[in-house]
Amino acid sequence: MNAIHRFLGRSSKTQLGPLEQQLLEELWKWKSATVRELLDRSNLELAYTTVMTTLDRLYKKQLLDRSAEGRAFRYSPRHTQEELKKAAVGETVRQLLSSSPAASLPLSYLVEAVSDHDAGLLDQLQQLVDQKRRQRNREKR
Amino acid sequence: MFAARCIGISLALFLVLYVPASLAVSRAWDMLQQIVAPRTARVSASFLFALRILPFVLASAFTLLFTLPSFLLLEPRATDEAIGTAPLMLGLCCVALLAAGIVQAVLAQMRTSRALMKWLEGSTALESEDAIPVFRTVKDAPSLTVAGVREPKVLVSEAAIAVLTPPELRTALRHEMAHARSYDNLKKLLFRFSVFPGMAGLESAWAEQSELAADDAAVSCVRDALDLAAALIKVSRLSTRQPQAELATGLLHSATALGERVQRLVSWEKRPPITGRGYWQLALPSLGGTVFVVVATYGSVLTGLHQLTEWLVR
Repeated sequence: MNAIHRFLGRSSKTQLGPLEQQLLEELWKWKSATVRELLDRSNLELAYTTVMTTLDRLYKKQLLDRSAEGRAFRYSPRHTQEELKKAAVGETVRQLLSSSPAASLPLSYLVEAVSDHDAGLLDQLQQLVDQKRRQRNREKR
Repeated sequence: MFAARCIGISLALFLVLYVPASLAVSRAWDMLQQIVAPRTARVSASFLFALRILPFVLASAFTLLFTLPSFLLLEPRATDEAIGTAPLMLGLCCVALLAAGIVQAVLAQMRTSRALMKWLEGSTALESEDAIPVFRTVKDAPSLTVAGVREPKVLVSEAAIAVLTPPELRTALRHEMAHARSYDNLKKLLFRFSVFPGMAGLESAWAEQSELAADDAAVSCVRDALDLAAALIKVSRLSTRQPQAELATGLLHSATALGERVQRLVSWEKRPPITGRGYWQLALPSLGGTVFVVVATYGSVLTGLHQLTEWLVR
């Protein structure tokens, strides 16, 4: 997990590009794969060298593990999708909190957003209970 | 010196058993729960509670049944042997661990008592269907909670009384009574006492299952289920996000669990009661077998254990 935090803590230039993201998602799906396997199994219309370079970049960013397999490398994700998502959310909150000299200001936005979400959820749940009550009353009659 | 060695070795062996058992439980509880797949929330909560305190119970039972007798029966009292570095260090670590547990438990109890006293200021006792007293609180108290270990009290705020209909309030109070009857606050105190890092996930899973178990205990028909679901939503809207006392169990556990709980209550169906016969059929022979093995091998285990402690001392 420290590796993810180190990675996410860097500048936005080192964040994942669309191709890196796509290949990482493919690897989460297949658990592990070589460049050839990725090209065969997925609908990637990419050159072998493009995939190879991108996977190498992800490896250097410490998001993939690799082991030699013949003349190629077998790549596997170092972290689960959930772990990466969790670290990204944490990093976003950290950046949000350090974005203003008054730490309470961004925090209050966050609390507001969460409260709005809570209120929405409660409304939905209330509708569910009311619906069930109405249905039960109809059945009784 | 004999007594000091006896205590040192007992504490050292307690730690030697407690740490790996706790590590195993903190890593494997999720998998074990999936294997056992308890049929009801009550059984699930009991299973998780048993797993959480298993390392402490196991280490204590082993110390009392094996380590102490092995030392007292087989160690010559006349020898003036030193405790030994390894047992001394392990024993000190064990004392530190036990002291941390005691401090945590005492602090939790003190904080809860203080919070309870504050909540009860200006409160009035309400009529209760149960032996557990119910109080109507006026300020700075949670909407609905059961607090305390020795003499638990159910507290319901004026705001909660105002927004809940009488059937909703009755079902919500039954939910809190169920927590009190299951000694959930005492269980929380035991968690504080048997301290070990990495148990938060297991404790949280237990808390969620005990909430579901209390829901089940409070509900006996579809109407009750819908009343409790409505009470949960109304109390959630009232929630002022104030920190709960550690040894108190409120109506709400977390926002995530709330959605699941309401949906579970809305789709509530009367099920035939599950008897514990299945579990007893498995537990009784296992218990009998364990007792038989312990009795049959007791002498040789004590001798082996004494040899181990001798090795540890040297």
